[in-house]
Amino acid sequence: MPEHLTIQERDDIALASVMARKSMSAAKIGTALGMSLLDRPAACGSGAVTFIGTGPGTWLAFHDGTAPDFAADLTHRLAGLASVSDQSSGYVVLRLAGEGARKLLQRGAAIDFHSASFSSGSVATTVIAHIGVVIRQVDDGPTYDLATFRSFAGSLREWIDHAAAALAF
Amino acid sequence: MSRLSAGGLIDRQRPLSFTFDGKAYSGFEGDTLASALVANDVRLVGRSFKYHRARGILTAGSEEPNALVTLRTGAHAEPNTRATTVSLFDGLEASSQNRWPSLRYDLLAVNQLASPIFVAGFYYKTFMWPAKFWEKVYEPLIRRAAGLGKLSMLPDPSEYDREHAFCDLLVIGGGAAGLAAALTAGRAGLRVMLADEDARPGGRLLSERQEIDSMSAVQWVAQVLAELASLPNVRVLSRTGVFGVYDDEYVAVERVSDHLVAPLPGQPRQRLWKIVSRRAILATGAIERPLVFGGNDLPGVMTASAVSTYVNRYAAVPGQRAVVFTASDSGWSTARDLAAAGASVVLVDHREDEPALAAELRTRGVEILSGAIVTDVHGVPVRKVDVRLADGSRRTLRADLVAMGGGWNPAIGLGSNMGAKPVWSESQQTFLLDETPPGLVPAGAAAGRFSLAQALVDGAAKGTDAVADATGRAVPPPSFRAADEAASTAPLWHVPGARTKCFVDFQNDVTASDVQLAAREGFVSIEHMKRYTTLGMATDQGKTSQLNGHALLAAATDRTIGAAGTIMSRAPYQPVAIGVLAGHHREESFRPVRRTASHDWAAEQGATFVDAGQWKRAQWFSRPGEASWLETVNREVTMTRRGVGICDVSTLGKIDVHGPDAALLLDRLYINMFSTLAVGKARYGVMLREDGIVMDDGTTTRFAEDSFFVTTTTVNAARVMQHIDYARQVLWPELDVQATSVTEQWATYAVAGPRSREMLQAAFPDLDVSNDALPFMGAAKFRWQGFEARIYRLSFSGELAYEVSVPATLGDKLVRHLFAAGRSYDAVPYGTEALGVMRIEKGHAAGNELNGQTTAADLGMGRMMSKKKDFIGRAMAARRGLADPSRPALVGLRPVDRTRHLRGGGHLLAPGAAPLPQNDEGFVTSAAWSPTLDHSIALGLLVNGAQRHGERIVIHDPVRGGDIQAEVCNPIFVDPEGVRVRA
Repeated sequence: MPEHLTIQERDDIALASVMARKSMSAAKIGTALGMSLLDRPAACGSGAVTFIGTGPGTWLAFHDGTAPDFAADLTHRLAGLASVSDQSSGYVVLRLAGEGARKLLQRGAAIDFHSASFSSGSVATTVIAHIGVVIRQVDDGPTYDLATFRSFAGSLREWIDHAAAALAF
Repeated sequence: MSRLSAGGLIDRQRPLSFTFDGKAYSGFEGDTLASALVANDVRLVGRSFKYHRARGILTAGSEEPNALVTLRTGAHAEPNTRATTVSLFDGLEASSQNRWPSLRYDLLAVNQLASPIFVAGFYYKTFMWPAKFWEKVYEPLIRRAAGLGKLSMLPDPSEYDREHAFCDLLVIGGGAAGLAAALTAGRAGLRVMLADEDARPGGRLLSERQEIDSMSAVQWVAQVLAELASLPNVRVLSRTGVFGVYDDEYVAVERVSDHLVAPLPGQPRQRLWKIVSRRAILATGAIERPLVFGGNDLPGVMTASAVSTYVNRYAAVPGQRAVVFTASDSGWSTARDLAAAGASVVLVDHREDEPALAAELRTRGVEILSGAIVTDVHGVPVRKVDVRLADGSRRTLRADLVAMGGGWNPAIGLGSNMGAKPVWSESQQTFLLDETPPGLVPAGAAAGRFSLAQALVDGAAKGTDAVADATGRAVPPPSFRAADEAASTAPLWHVPGARTKCFVDFQNDVTASDVQLAAREGFVSIEHMKRYTTLGMATDQGKTSQLNGHALLAAATDRTIGAAGTIMSRAPYQPVAIGVLAGHHREESFRPVRRTASHDWAAEQGATFVDAGQWKRAQWFSRPGEASWLETVNREVTMTRRGVGICDVSTLGKIDVHGPDAALLLDRLYINMFSTLAVGKARYGVMLREDGIVMDDGTTTRFAEDSFFVTTTTVNAARVMQHIDYARQVLWPELDVQATSVTEQWATYAVAGPRSREMLQAAFPDLDVSNDALPFMGAAKFRWQGFEARIYRLSFSGELAYEVSVPATLGDKLVRHLFAAGRSYDAVPYGTEALGVMRIEKGHAAGNELNGQTTAADLGMGRMMSKKKDFIGRAMAARRGLADPSRPALVGLRPVDRTRHLRGGGHLLAPGAAPLPQNDEGFVTSAAWSPTLDHSIALGLLVNGAQRHGERIVIHDPVRGGDIQAEVCNPIFVDPEGVRVRA
C-alpha cells in the first residue's frame, strides 16, 4: 500500500529574503513586525506572514496569498533594521503532504525527519539531488513546504518523480 | 538429486525452475542459486582466474571466492555474482564464467601445464621487456586468458534509489549477537536499525542445530524477529549489506528486487542507504578458514560450515562419502550433520584430543582419525583423499566430499575502514579489533566470542551499553538459555607434506608456494606480499584467504603472526554496483539543469540549446531553409544591427547589495568607483582577485542610497556571491552591508538594435523610453502586469539597447509580449552565438579573455583602476610582472586576405619568425565571422598590443594547419566612437 502523498505547487504566495542589518537582533525585527522572531532554523509567523530562518540573521519570509508589494512593504516596515529583497519569483515552493511526504524527503535529504527531531515549525536548509532546498514542516499531518530556486524546479521535479515511483518499496 | 525429503528452510510447495549454462534445473523457494546447484549435484561451477582450474562452490555465504556466475542476460546481465548470495527465483538464468569453449572443456586450462611460469609476480617478470610490446601484445593476451565475468556493454536498465536513516543504534548483522543486541535496545525504546545481508536474518542460527530457550534456534529467530517487527522504534532490513564506515555515517546497499525475476513497476533494483547512528554494533559473525592442503581447491572441497548450511538450512547434501578435515570443534558438528543426513563420514582432526561430541559421532558410525591430516585430494570432482595418520602411515580414502574447518576469522573488515589496524589475539588465535571507528563495537563472533551462549551474552551486553549511552539508564540485559558448546580451534596454517598445489587464495590462484616465493624475493611486508602475489584482491577481498596467507608469510620470515600483521580493509566490504552509487544521477539527470523562464518559448522557436554551467541557454534559432548554424547566426546579427533583436540574458548573476555601507563595500570590491554612482544609474565595473588578476565584470545599478543591484557573468555568479560574502563577513565584518542572490527572481531580456526604442515604446506605451527619460546607462522601475519591472539602458551588442526585467514568473509572458509588440519591427530572437559575435565586433572582453591570466591593463581597462581608493587586488596588481607594459594586451586582428577564416587558439608570431616558443608573442582568444564587416575578425592578446595597431602578424596554427597573415587593429571593429549606444 503506497503511502499517501500529494504535491502541489504554491503559486499563491509572495516571498522575500530578509537580512538583519548590523547589530539588529531578531527581537527588534520581530517587534517591528508585531511577531516573535527566532534566529534559528525554525518557522515563526503572524497571520499570513511566516519567517523561516535560513542562516544567522537571515530569513525567507512567506506571505500566504499573492502580494506584489510584499517585499516593498517589508522594506518600508524594516527600514534601518533589515535589508529586504523580493524573492516571490526566485523560488518555486512545493507543498508536500501525507506520510509519503516524510518518506520522500527522507530519501532525498540527509536530515532526520523523525517527529522527535523534526516537527511542525522545523526548518532545514539543505540539499536534495544536488539541488539546494529549504524545507519547512508546516504541520504534523505531516505537511511540508519545499522551496528551491526556480531554475532548478524541473530537475527537482524529475527527482521527485523518480523517488516517488519507488516510494512503495 | 541430493535433496533431503524433509527439513530445511525451503518451501517444497513452491518449486522454482532455473537454468545454469542453459541446462534446466529446479529448486525451491528459500534456496540460493548455490544451494539449488548443490541439490542438483552440480559440482563444477566456474574456472579459476589464472590457471583456469575447475572450481566448485566453496562456501555458503558472501565470502564466496569461486562460485562467481553471470546472472541474467542481455543488459540485465550481472557478472561476477556470487551464487551463494543469489536468492533463487523462478526463471533465473545463470551462466558460468571464464571458460572457453565450455565449462567442462576449457582449452585455456592448458595454463596449468605452464603453471611454473605463472607464479607470483609473473606479469612483472615475464613482460618487462620490450616495453612497447606490453600494450599491444602481452596485455591483450593476458586479458583474454585471465579474467572473470564480462560486462554486457549495454546501458544499465535498472533503477536505483537512495535513503537516509538516523538512529540510536545500528546493528550490523542479524545473527545471535545482533538479534540479542537489537532486542535489548529495541525493548528499551531506542531507535534501532538492524541490517542483515541475507535474505533471512538469523546468521549461523539458520545453519546449525542449536537450541535457545528450549526451542530450536530457527524458532527463536522467528520469535525475536516478530517482536522486533512489533516495535515501532525498530527497523529490520534484510538483504541489506553495510559496506563502508565513513566519518559519522555507515553506508549500505539494500537489494530491493534482485531476488525477483523482474522488478515491479517503479521498484528499484537496489537502494543506497546512508545511516547516521549514535552507536553501532558490528555483529557480522565470523568466516571459516579453509585448510591449506594439496588440491584443496577441487570441486567437492568445501568449508565445513558451508556443508552444515547446505545440509541444515537447505536440506541439500553436497556428498554421500564425506571426509571432514578440521582443526576446530565446529568441524565435528558438521560431521554430525552429515551423518544425520545419511552420509558416510570420516573425521580427520590434526589435534590429538577429542571434543565431547566424539562419542555421539561414533554411535552414528563416523570414523574418527585424530592426530591425522589430509595431505592431498584428487579428482575433478573429488574422488579420493590422501590421509597421513597419527602414526605417520598413509591411507587413501574414497570420498566425493571434503569438508574443511580451519577455524574462524571474525568478520571485522568494516571495523578497520577508518584506519584501525586489527591486533593479534594469542588466546583466540585470530586478529581482533582493538581500536574501532567512534561509536562502533564488535559483538559475538566478530569479537572472538564464538560459542552461541557467549555470543548471546555479548550481544545483549553491547545492547545494554547502547541503551545506557543513549538514555543514561541501566537496563538489565535479557538472558537467553543456550549451550556453551565447544568452540576451540588449534590452527593449522599449512598442512605439511602435500604433493600437489595448496591454494591459499582461491579467487586469485595464489598458492602456499607463491607466498613463500614472495618472502624469498623480499616481499616480507604484508602489504607488499599482497600486491606481489595478488592475495586478498578481487571481489572476495581475501575473506577466506587473508589470514592463511599472512600466517604463511609469518612462518616463511620467522616471525609470529602478530608481528607480521594483517591488512586493513577498505570500503566497500562487499562488491557494490556502480549504478547504486550513482542512483538517480545518470544520463540527463547526471547533474541538475537550470532552465530560464522562457525556456519553453525558446524551444517552441526552434532554439538549439547550449550548456553554460548548469544553465541551458538558446545558442541560436534556426529557421527553415538555413543551411548552417553560421547562416542562422549571421542573420540574427544582421537583423539585430539593422532592426531589433531580443536575447534572454536571465542567466547573468544578480546580487542585491544593501545597507548603509553598500557603496563602500563595492568601492573595495571593484577597481572603479561606485560610491559616486547616482541613483537611477548603472556603471560597468571590473573586480580583481586578491592576486591582481581580473575575476569578473558586469554592470551595477544604484536604486537607492543604500541599495545596489550587481550583475555578474553567468559562469562566475556563485563565485562572485561567495567573494562578496567573504569580503563582508570575513574581511570587513564592521561594515553594515547585506548581500542576497536574486539571480532567480528576475527574467531579463536584452532588446537591442536601432529600432529597439520604438519597439519598447510600443510594448510599454505608458513607459517613457526617450533619450531624455532614459539615457545611456540609465535605469528605471515601472509596473507591468501589476508587478515591479525594471528597465536598464545597457548595451553589450554596441547598438542602442535596453534590458527589461520582470519577476521570473512573468518571464514567459514578457518574452511573448515583446515579440508580439516586435512583429511590426521584424524583431528577431538571437542566441548566445550571435551575442558572442556582436561582443567580438565591439571588442568586449568575455570569458575567453577573463581567463584567469589577464590583468585589467591587459584588457585595455588599466585606466579604470582608481588611484583614489583601495580595492581587492590593487597591491598585487602592481607587482612588476603584472604591471609590465609589454605584457600581452588586447588587440583586434583581421586577415590580410579577407576571405581567410581566423580561428581561436592560433599563436601570434612576427612575420618571418620561426615558430618556436621563444618567438611566441601571444595568441588569438576569440574569433568570429563578422556579418557586419563581411570578413573574419578576432581578438587576441599580443605583446605590447596597444602600440602595434596597423602591424602585420602571423597567426600560426600548427594543430589545424596553415599560417594566416593578419593585421593588428583596434579591438573595437564596429562603431568605435560608440555613437550607436547613445542614439
